[in-house]
Amino acid sequence: MRRIAYYKGCLAGLSARELDVSTRALAPKLGLELVELESVTCCGAGDIQMADPDYALHLNARILAEAEHAGSGTILTVCNVCTLNLRQAAWQLGNDEQLRSRVNENLERSGARPYSGGVEVTHLLWLIARGEGLERLKEIAVRKLDGLRVAPFYGCQLLRPSKLMGFEDPDRPTSLETVIEACGGEPVDYPAKTRCCGFPILLAREQTSLAELARPLEQALEAGAEAMVTSCPLCHLSLDAWQKSLERTLGRKLGLPIFHLSQLLALAAGLEPARLEFSRHAVSLGPVLARLESPLEGGR
Amino acid sequence: MQVRLHVQRSDPVTGETRLQLFELELPREATLLDCLEQIKDEVDGTLAFRRSCREGICGSCAVRIDGRTALACRTPVAELVAEGHAPTIAPIGNLPVVRDLVVEMEPMWQKMRAVEPFLRPGPDCGLDGRETPIPSARLDAVRKESLCINCGACVSECDAMTVSPEFLGPHALVKAWRLVGDPRDDAVAPRLKGLSGEHGIWECTRCYLCNERCPKGVDPRDAIAKLGAEAIAARIDRDRGARHAKWFVTSARTTGWLRESELVVRTLGLAFSFAKIPLALRLFRRGKAPLPLPRHRARDLAPARELRHIVAGQDRRGALGIVQGERALERIDFICSPEQPVGEDEP
Amino acid sequence: MYGPEDVESSHDVLVIGAGCAGMRAAIEAHDAGADVALVSKLHPTRSHSGAARGGINAALGNAGEDSPERHAADTVKGSDYLGDQDAIELFCAEAPGDIYQLERWGALFDRDDEGRLAQRAFGGAGAPRTVHAADVSGHVLLQVLYEQLLAREIRVYEEYFAWRLVVGATGCDGVLAWDLARGGVRALAAKAVILATGGSGRVYCGSTNAHACTGDGMAMALRAGLPLEDLEFVQFHPTTLVPSGLLVTEAVRGEGGLLLNAKGERFMRRYAPEAMELASRDVVARAEQTEIDEGRDVNGSLLLDMRHFGREKMIERFHGTRDLALTYAGIDPLEQPIPVRPGAHYHMGGVATDVDGRSEIENVFAAGEVACVSLHGANRLGGNSLMETIVFGRRAGRAAAEQALKRSGSAGLAPSARVDGERELARLLERHQGERPSRIRDELGASMHENFGVFREEGGMRRQLELLENLRERYRHVLVDDRGEIFNSDLVQALELGYQLDLAVCMVSAGLERRESRGAHSRPKDFPARDDENFLKHSLVRWSNDWLDLSWKPVTITKWQPQRRTY
Repeated sequence: MRRIAYYKGCLAGLSARELDVSTRALAPKLGLELVELESVTCCGAGDIQMADPDYALHLNARILAEAEHAGSGTILTVCNVCTLNLRQAAWQLGNDEQLRSRVNENLERSGARPYSGGVEVTHLLWLIARGEGLERLKEIAVRKLDGLRVAPFYGCQLLRPSKLMGFEDPDRPTSLETVIEACGGEPVDYPAKTRCCGFPILLAREQTSLAELARPLEQALEAGAEAMVTSCPLCHLSLDAWQKSLERTLGRKLGLPIFHLSQLLALAAGLEPARLEFSRHAVSLGPVLARLESPLEGGR
Repeated sequence: MQVRLHVQRSDPVTGETRLQLFELELPREATLLDCLEQIKDEVDGTLAFRRSCREGICGSCAVRIDGRTALACRTPVAELVAEGHAPTIAPIGNLPVVRDLVVEMEPMWQKMRAVEPFLRPGPDCGLDGRETPIPSARLDAVRKESLCINCGACVSECDAMTVSPEFLGPHALVKAWRLVGDPRDDAVAPRLKGLSGEHGIWECTRCYLCNERCPKGVDPRDAIAKLGAEAIAARIDRDRGARHAKWFVTSARTTGWLRESELVVRTLGLAFSFAKIPLALRLFRRGKAPLPLPRHRARDLAPARELRHIVAGQDRRGALGIVQGERALERIDFICSPEQPVGEDEP
Repeated sequence: MYGPEDVESSHDVLVIGAGCAGMRAAIEAHDAGADVALVSKLHPTRSHSGAARGGINAALGNAGEDSPERHAADTVKGSDYLGDQDAIELFCAEAPGDIYQLERWGALFDRDDEGRLAQRAFGGAGAPRTVHAADVSGHVLLQVLYEQLLAREIRVYEEYFAWRLVVGATGCDGVLAWDLARGGVRALAAKAVILATGGSGRVYCGSTNAHACTGDGMAMALRAGLPLEDLEFVQFHPTTLVPSGLLVTEAVRGEGGLLLNAKGERFMRRYAPEAMELASRDVVARAEQTEIDEGRDVNGSLLLDMRHFGREKMIERFHGTRDLALTYAGIDPLEQPIPVRPGAHYHMGGVATDVDGRSEIENVFAAGEVACVSLHGANRLGGNSLMETIVFGRRAGRAAAEQALKRSGSAGLAPSARVDGERELARLLERHQGERPSRIRDELGASMHENFGVFREEGGMRRQLELLENLRERYRHVLVDDRGEIFNSDLVQALELGYQLDLAVCMVSAGLERRESRGAHSRPKDFPARDDENFLKHSLVRWSNDWLDLSWKPVTITKWQPQRRTY
């Protein structure tokens, strides 16, 4: 078992609780012992980075320090936005001693632990899309997804800015496809998979946001997807919870079920669907699950 | 070196578009611009494209190469045609095509003009004919943005501009920050008010395509964040986007985590929130909209509250909180080479 | 899309070219009360002024004792005593005020520890007087001038290729331009015209200049009967990347970069045993050319070695240079030396003007690299050219506005001028057989580099003139592929080539007649020494009735008598 600090972020503790639940259920199968960071806060979500950027840096420094204290050189995230914010802070604090010592002074004054640098921030997707992680995934993926046509949705902040993320080609990523295939699904290709879901301005500029949201959903359906998987709970909230609103704007039915990455993996690893809280989704996964449960009659 | 390219041709009169294949022979170190020049010189003089400096300074030759926007003159062609690949060269996006690879830049200039892109010097800025000392560090806030060459690479792929063509967009907002962030400018508040309109600062969806494509490392998204930070610091924060951002601060300070259930009301205001009730009820039935109470609280909350208090009393308010991180970010470009991705983490 | 159709329009002042000099001139003309418009074949911020890296000279004295007088003395000496000293004195005296104004307009110059404008030392300068913005000084100036243009809502005819000055009995009536974006000839009338089209570096292959630097303004002036001054003086930069000609910054040598020949020898030891690689530009360029001429080159190049810098220094200090070498030569300077050679960089000569930019035609002005005031004489000092665009751009703008406002009525162009222009272009566009411009252009560039490069001698120059006659003959049958109206850059490039051929003939002719070595004009085989007795004077070339006319005019000397130029 590999001990790894787990930062679940806000949404996985709130409306996307099913993501947290599925990730925890999945972790042992992947050989991970999740050390939950509790004395931590929101990463800023890109919002505190605008409303009070200096504060945002300090919050992230605290999260990194807690991971360090937990004895883990790596933080595991399950959210694109958390990954970007933490990686950005980790880079800044790791490469500017002056900045780090100022932040640390403040951390200590506030009663928090200081951060000495060197914590690596990674996303669940990155852990399992290559090397040993991928091998492990192939081993545990016992319930094959039976050629389920799954549209990968990367969104933005796990790919860009690539100089901070750097895991793969931001324009031609393959990690989600690799994972879908390892789970026995069939990846569906469509241009908007690396584009924006509109989430950050969903409330502030609904029209613009929904117009962005329409593109991946429509294109994925067009390309024959039966479901979509995303690495980000914020994208998930747009894609799933707001799909109905979008349907009304577009005047057409979409009905594309959206998996969290952890759910898709856990399902493939043979976990009971009931444990993955699919019932919490706005767009029902019923038909997809039904097909997977009776693969013989699934008839593709 | 053999080079095969598909170039998007378009008839300026009929608007008809087609892809034309060119097969060329070029030296190993040739750039994409060299390819276009060779086509024009030797194969087909009717190919239209802009170019001048050939070294990434004039900003004329941005094109889309297999969809991604880059300066033709800064793109070595060898990597593009590896393994016999024949890339597709198309005009940049989000602007009307004039002919072949030439687009109409006027909509971009219009937006730039809309931000009043010139310094309005204040009275303490010194008189003509004398020098006014300004600490170098105060000018650091706008150095990155001053590198913009107006090539339009950021505009080309801006996701928000594609769906909302009136959005001011990354290029104009970079220029806006270049002035708002300049200590010599005396019109900061009116500028920020003007930029906080429906299609201003808060319409950016943070897709980071502008940062990804900018050939000069300007990082337009970061400039937009700086504008937001200054607007909020100056209490020009009535916009829904600003309220949304501020709510995260309140949440972090009071409960550690986002107070998600109140976010809608805090962003939209009570009256507009009623419109969201059907959605909320639908989500609530699914367990997607958590009840306001009990709140999701972080453990050991005091430091989060205290930190906010501490940093508020220090001199990194507003955009300076972003600027302070730039020194480290500058180093990334040349420390990470593609052969050693920073995200590698073998379990 | 482009606003109202302007087949004909009229302004008080028309500025051709929208780089630093052109924009500065337009701003001043506007502020002097004139209705002014700019005409440029590029969007203003695409102009080549933006490529200037080093900085802009003014004796502010912020980084050490300095004075306009010292600046002037350095400039006179740098010019090899060919600069006009009245112009130089005026230039140096006015430069500081212009810097403060640019600063007030928002130019983002670097600061010293006290927050004052930082100044760095440059070649040939006796004090640190170059104000700078990292290595993007020209870019910063270009942006700030464009901002000021927008603040004044000055009209720009963007992507209009001005190709003819229309000169009548009472002076210049305006220009004809080809509207690149929409197609068609436009007649732009003006009471005064300012040429600010920049340099002509593209006459050479392997130039540091942008594609747009085709000497349009010089050639237009020539065809309008104006004299061009000191055209034989072209500055060669010693480290331009082979084959592209892109500039490799002098800082590489400043930080210990070595110049090697084919035998791996530090050849500068034989030319400047003390200064070595850090000798002045012209000395290094001549040393390199000697090595090439004597066969110690590597395929026409010398090697600039920075391998010993090590990874750390290379990445920290020379990231840009490494990127340049990787992108444009496919070479990693950590592993291999970079191939360099001297490349055409700056044209000291140009349209002859007085200190207000005025030419022989009283309402035609010129400023910037297109002009010859003469500030640079036989050799330009680094940092003086950006300052020149500002000081003389401003002065020309002011003088042109005053000139225009004195003229009553509105400007007008005889309709026949446009009809003639249209007919001429139609003839070119209707041609269906002939030679494409690119071959002629490439032969021009290579032969100028060969015969009128760093070194010149009688035989080579005569050969070059014959060759140019041949190229000009071929150009009479040049073939434009593109017959369309919209964005016909093929047509523009063919017209530019015509300009370049005319200019090359003038340059070589002037060079042939200057039987001495002075500044950038070096004739080691036939006339190795400076000859003040016979050649302390400016050459003037005119073109009349298809005949080149060469004459001379004296150099203005105020305080500094010619002396041997040593550093």
